[in-house]
Amino acid sequence: MKKFIAALAILATPLATSVAAQDFSEGSTAKSWNLYAEVPATFEAEVVDILCTVAGDCANQCSEGRQLGLLRSADNVLVFPNKNSQSSFNGAAYDLHPYCGKMVDVDGLLIEDEDIQGATNIYLVQKIKEAGAADWAKANKWTKVWAAKHPEAKGKGPWFRRDPRVNAIIADTGHLGQGLSPEEAYEITR
Amino acid sequence: MSLKTSIAAAALALTAAPALAAEGERVQITGEIIDTWCYFSGVMGGPEAVVGSAHHTCALWCSAGGIPVGLLGDDGEVYMVLKINGDDQSASGDTQLTLASHEIVADGMLYKRDGLNYLVVEAVVEDRGITNLNHEDFGVVPGFAIPKPKK
Repeated sequence: MKKFIAALAILATPLATSVAAQDFSEGSTAKSWNLYAEVPATFEAEVVDILCTVAGDCANQCSEGRQLGLLRSADNVLVFPNKNSQSSFNGAAYDLHPYCGKMVDVDGLLIEDEDIQGATNIYLVQKIKEAGAADWAKANKWTKVWAAKHPEAKGKGPWFRRDPRVNAIIADTGHLGQGLSPEEAYEITR
Repeated sequence: MSLKTSIAAAALALTAAPALAAEGERVQITGEIIDTWCYFSGVMGGPEAVVGSAHHTCALWCSAGGIPVGLLGDDGEVYMVLKINGDDQSASGDTQLTLASHEIVADGMLYKRDGLNYLVVEAVVEDRGITNLNHEDFGVVPGFAIPKPKK
């Protein structure tokens, strides 16, 4: 039995070490966001529907509006792309959606922060292409998708100031969610 | 089973396990619906500043913008919400948007994979609204979330 346990330990140790020590920064041209725990990372992965992959809820897999993940080829780790390359509060699902079920190459920033509970395998996608393809596409499609969905909100200023759903909630309960007017909320937060 | 067979089976299990869907666990979790990018990345400051009333407007923007929402449990764990009350629109969906910054009691299934917690919320048992009034400590985060009133 001792031999069996020792053999398991020998098997498990290199596996754990290799996963923990994987460095995906080689070849990355990702731009820094000056985040404390960012690491440039480029890798091949399959774009997967996370709800299907982790929970087996696959009836509507890859349909628009579901979060998508990157199942990394090198180590089979499921990476969660929280963010695309835009700086205006946009996720990555709509950038990844055309590639769902396909193998892709991605480049961006991995977040691995031991000081924040659970901050691991979080990713900011900056560019994407089908695996082996020559040309990259920037992961910056979200605002165009939003504009197409909300033609009634066309106007000046960033999308998030014009989003009808957000503005309806703020009109109802205020910027702090406490029922204050914009003027009151502004004053008490200065 | 011989030792060789056992080791081979164990090795296969060790290498193949991540490819399989995780086994779910029934849970009931109390916590706050947060935007996970600001929380994990530190882009707008420490974790205590990017939750609650101080960060409510940004949480709305991020949720509407398709950034994944999470449930920050009382245990300090973040549970990535994949589905809530039958709504699988976890990227910019209506249900999660209306719960931004709210403290809720969620009943559902928990899955774990590669260091992250994933939650399928079958029912919001209780919605307590926004209970973390941390704007009293942090003001508004980010500062431009509330436009300067026009005189």
